[in-house]
Amino acid sequence: MFFWQDPQFGNKMITLMAALVLVIQILMVSQRWLVTNIRAFGVQSLLLACIAWTIAYFNHAPHIYWVAALTLIFKAGLLPVVLERLVARIEIRQEIEPFVNVPLSVLVAGMLTLLAYVVSESFHRPNEPAGHGLGHNTLAVAIAVFLIGFFMMVNRRKALSQVLGLLCLENGLLLAAISLTYGMPLIVEVGIFFDVLVASLLLAILVYRIRETFDSMDVSRLSRLRG
Amino acid sequence: MIIIALLLIPLLASAITAAMRNPRRMELVYLLSAVGSFAAAVWLAGEVLRSGPVAWGNGFLYADHLSALVALLTAFVYLVSAPYAIGYFRQEAKDHASGEIIDEKIPSSRLRLYYSLTPLFGFSMLLVTVANNLGVMWVAAEGTTLASIFLVTFYNRRNSLEAAWKYAILGGVGLSMALFGTVLVYYASYPILGGENVSNLNWSVLVDSAPRFDKTVMRLAFILALLGYGTKAGLAPMHTWKPDAYSEAPVPVVALMATAVLDCALYALARFYVLTARCLGPAFASQLLILFGLLTIGIAVPFILQQRSYRRLLAYSSIDHGGIMALSLGFGGVLGPLGMLLHMTFHSVTKPLLFFCAGNFQQHTGNDSLKKGAGGLLHTLPVSAPMFLLATLAVTGTPPFSMFQSEFTVLRAGFAAQHIGVVIVFVVLVVAIFCGFFYHASQLVFGAPNGLPRGEFSRWKTWPVIGLSLIVVLLGFWLPAPLYALVEGAARILEVHP
Repeated sequence: MFFWQDPQFGNKMITLMAALVLVIQILMVSQRWLVTNIRAFGVQSLLLACIAWTIAYFNHAPHIYWVAALTLIFKAGLLPVVLERLVARIEIRQEIEPFVNVPLSVLVAGMLTLLAYVVSESFHRPNEPAGHGLGHNTLAVAIAVFLIGFFMMVNRRKALSQVLGLLCLENGLLLAAISLTYGMPLIVEVGIFFDVLVASLLLAILVYRIRETFDSMDVSRLSRLRG
Repeated sequence: MIIIALLLIPLLASAITAAMRNPRRMELVYLLSAVGSFAAAVWLAGEVLRSGPVAWGNGFLYADHLSALVALLTAFVYLVSAPYAIGYFRQEAKDHASGEIIDEKIPSSRLRLYYSLTPLFGFSMLLVTVANNLGVMWVAAEGTTLASIFLVTFYNRRNSLEAAWKYAILGGVGLSMALFGTVLVYYASYPILGGENVSNLNWSVLVDSAPRFDKTVMRLAFILALLGYGTKAGLAPMHTWKPDAYSEAPVPVVALMATAVLDCALYALARFYVLTARCLGPAFASQLLILFGLLTIGIAVPFILQQRSYRRLLAYSSIDHGGIMALSLGFGGVLGPLGMLLHMTFHSVTKPLLFFCAGNFQQHTGNDSLKKGAGGLLHTLPVSAPMFLLATLAVTGTPPFSMFQSEFTVLRAGFAAQHIGVVIVFVVLVVAIFCGFFYHASQLVFGAPNGLPRGEFSRWKTWPVIGLSLIVVLLGFWLPAPLYALVEGAARILEVHP
């Protein structure tokens, strides 16, 4: 048997790429430049598409090819381009100003990863039939990306970087969905994708309109409504 | 077949109005879609009562008593808000023409936005109620957020952008948690149901095999679903988008958001509750629901007591009632679900009335303040002001109004479940809310004349108010037998015995 037919090899590749996804996520937490962040998000989505493709190839699940293709087109291609154009067009200061400083943020991200491993441990089914469900490493990464994405949203005051946090959070969700079950039934995935896409476009428009009205995308200035 | 009609009517109306230019014709299509949806929902409820659950397309769409009830309530609110919306926007346009409101103009393209997005909004909510697949239900719930973001920014003011931003971000995070919960339910069911079949995520399929699901996974799935759909329902501490969105969106949209969206979100949560309670026994899910429900009611109290704007006052009242419904579901047993659904039914009739009256006040006086020159509205608005007082009494659960009966059922459910401490706290909080709410309402309605011209704007705005008031009074004395049968059947679906 050649190595490209061996499911074990596929699993190792997936684990490797999942680890890279996590590394990129932590990189985004430590990065101060918005454009770098957007590009890192693009690379992360690309890796996600590769993971989906690998799963589809080694497990003969044709409908996951769709997930791979949609991720590649929208999340790795279209969204980063749109977001970068938006950044260039509204000429904001290109630096992310987190509430918590960078070293502490990275520490928090590390703690969240630890938490994710603890949570995913309880999901492990050791006596599961072979070929169903990936090693719990991938799930742990997915939960970690989800949690760190959440932390990014809370930690950042600029509207656009919050949107970026939301998109990362959804990347983690997608990784969880494909790694847990080899993809939910196709109809759901298509629904998810359209919603994610429309949601991010809506947010981008909203960001633009906020910019028009406020002359700044600082969300911490959105604080007139209280009580 | 009737399920398809229920969904197609608002969807078609949305497509038609999107292509129109004349506001009068948009109004007509919108009104027809509301009447049509309500007729379809009544028909569906009748069908379910006569011959049990209705399904379409291999169980892709599925309506049991619970779906039919929530669809009926959603369609009802959509129906009553339609004529009101017409009057509301006509007055906006007229005020603009006479130059009374200068900060914002209402061009007809903006009206088209409203008349095409609102049916889409209604469509998504109705899809939540009849989608059998938990994934499709999630897509529809996300659809309600997407369809309503630009309704919140309708006035394009600074504050409405801020409100829409909070709404979109919190809604996005919340619903991604709900999706994670859905994925985990699929994972928990995978070893038992197996296969890559679309129908494996159908609630009607899941519910029978729920006791054999993976228990650890279901526990996490319920927590995520509670946080996710709880955000949509406005359970504390994820409620902060509600007062902002409710005070910035146009009143007819708010009436839909405060009742129909709340019902749909709690409906989705209840579906997860049944799966979890069957898998783990009711104790785990109940405790969480009681905790979040009580916290939600508690958080509403200080904000109601010292509120400065009546739109926000109503928003906190809506948060409070969402908490009561979650609490009642948490009490469980036979009476808990019954109390929740009765409360949902009565709330969906009473809350739009309050919002309509408040909308009439706001358009008449030009602000929604409780302090600045407010008061004496009884002298200027001869219909809306007394009806507001009536609705206040009804919504705070004063006898003989119907919400007293449902809150009483919640109390009995709490005693039956032997949560005496929780019940005592609940009663204290409800009484505090009654005092605060009634104080503010009487300040607003009574008092010296405020010098504004006397008279209501148009029949479009007074008739929905009068009609709803009649229904509110009537429901206090007489609950139609078919409606009660529907509520009872729906409550039986949510009953889980240990």
